[in-house]
Amino acid sequence: MRTVGLDITGTGWVTTFQDLGRRDTERRGVPTGGAADQHSAAVANVLVGNPRDATLIENLGGELAFVPDADVLVAVTGAPARVTVGGAPMASWSPVVVPAGQEVRVRGDMGLGARNYLAVGGALAAETLLGSAAPDARMGFTQSLGQRVQLESGFRGFGHSHFTPPLFRLPVPVLRCAEGPWFVDVVESYGARSIPGVRELIAESSYVVTARSNHVGLRLDGPVLHPDTDTEIVSHGVPVGALQIPHADELIVLGRYRSLTAGYPIVGVASRASLPLLGQAGPGRELRFRWVDRETSVRQSAERESEVRALELATAEAFGALGFTGHLISP
Amino acid sequence: MAAAQFPAVTVEPFGDSAVMVTVPHPDPVVRRTAIVDFRERFLAHRPPGMVDVVSGLESLLVEYDPLATAPQHVEYAIRLLAGRMPAEQRSARARTALRFAIPVVFDEETGPDLRSVAEEVGLAPAEVVDAIAESTFTISLLGAAMAPMMDGLQVPRPVRRRAEPRTDVAPGAIMIAGTNAIIQPFPGPTGWRVVGRTPHTIVDISRPDPVSFGTGDIVRFVPVTRDEAAALDAGFLTPEEVRV
Repeated sequence: MRTVGLDITGTGWVTTFQDLGRRDTERRGVPTGGAADQHSAAVANVLVGNPRDATLIENLGGELAFVPDADVLVAVTGAPARVTVGGAPMASWSPVVVPAGQEVRVRGDMGLGARNYLAVGGALAAETLLGSAAPDARMGFTQSLGQRVQLESGFRGFGHSHFTPPLFRLPVPVLRCAEGPWFVDVVESYGARSIPGVRELIAESSYVVTARSNHVGLRLDGPVLHPDTDTEIVSHGVPVGALQIPHADELIVLGRYRSLTAGYPIVGVASRASLPLLGQAGPGRELRFRWVDRETSVRQSAERESEVRALELATAEAFGALGFTGHLISP
Repeated sequence: MAAAQFPAVTVEPFGDSAVMVTVPHPDPVVRRTAIVDFRERFLAHRPPGMVDVVSGLESLLVEYDPLATAPQHVEYAIRLLAGRMPAEQRSARARTALRFAIPVVFDEETGPDLRSVAEEVGLAPAEVVDAIAESTFTISLLGAAMAPMMDGLQVPRPVRRRAEPRTDVAPGAIMIAGTNAIIQPFPGPTGWRVVGRTPHTIVDISRPDPVSFGTGDIVRFVPVTRDEAAALDAGFLTPEEVRV
């Protein structure tokens, strides 16, 4: 184990430490938070031999750049991105050895997705709040990177540079951020029953993500219906991905930093398998919603999980064959 | 409270990995007390596969991992726990309730909504301050950013929220709505009525445990003058000595 420094030579619009979020803090008023695209964050970590929930770096917009002072193993996931090492193109969604002194640059294609995740084999030194490195803006926990980031790493290099053909053929479940509208599966909830016709309207309409969106929720332009009754809805918790109809004519998809909600009906909740894509939806993105039943939704989630599990097993085997046993860092 | 006041709970699926638990009862006080009791019990006997819970005023959102358990199992566990709420165990909470006496400056600058609240409930502003000071609050849940949300405000009638939310309320602001009170931990927007401010730090994220309070704790507000507040050198909010 040694300490490695990463000199941060460029940051994007929003560049922070990140992980999969807080556990068991929602009952104390702190939302789970964490990577908006949990799938890409988990896969980035798995690709460099880290536990899924290890601290990594999330970048939104602009360009993230850094220079390591020792050889490091990195992986970039998330939105389609142009990634270079010392100016030469490097593959995303793959483990890559970056030699000491070479600059890595990551520029996501904002037209296709909002966020990129950069994992480095080892444990990044980051502050934590209630056990997690995920930022929480509401509590003043910003987690921006500073000029130098430190890493405790057991990575010793395996003499395979980014210029040679890929060493691994790993079964990587790449998140597809396609051109055109994205389809989001939604499970119906109580609000749909209180607004006749809303189910059909949402199924046949097109919604566009607006620039007023943030980590609390995506605000969508598109047709909505409001309940007739004025039944009081007192403050209650809502799942991540809840589709809320506020008093204005818009639809809100609540994200991982949502808080209690009151007064607005929730017509459905996006399926767990759709959440990573929602985490990539930036302003201008067209979304279409499909109603699915709970069983279908859970089955899709199980398929995603088995893909990530298969990748975990494959990387453990590949790194094991290279002389590493298990994870590169101690948990 | 007798066990008969837990006739049944309603368990409704909410998305693919959560259920919403409510206690159907005509009296909101019973609904609110019962859901707090249920939450304590649920957290003390957490069934496998549970991820977290989110407390609402009259509900509990139970989040589970659908790959580790199934909604039928979750519902079964919830009904089992709700149905077995013998009164003698209700006092056996996970922790002893702490007591807080929180100094608050109530004036026109710290409490910009004092006057309008007074008009609304038919009291003088000083009488509203007295009513708040004479109320004993119980923390019913921790709201956004660990803000303590309390029940127990004794005023002639429930206080309405603001029609237009304020956009930037200072940390430490004491706010009321309905028969509830809450303390704003960080600067931010709110639709609650701002009536005063405490010099204490309510939430300190540099501490391993950023708050000293929890649900079930007892709070009183103690009016102080601006000078008294300054002289207190108030730091992180801590409870009074625990009385057994």
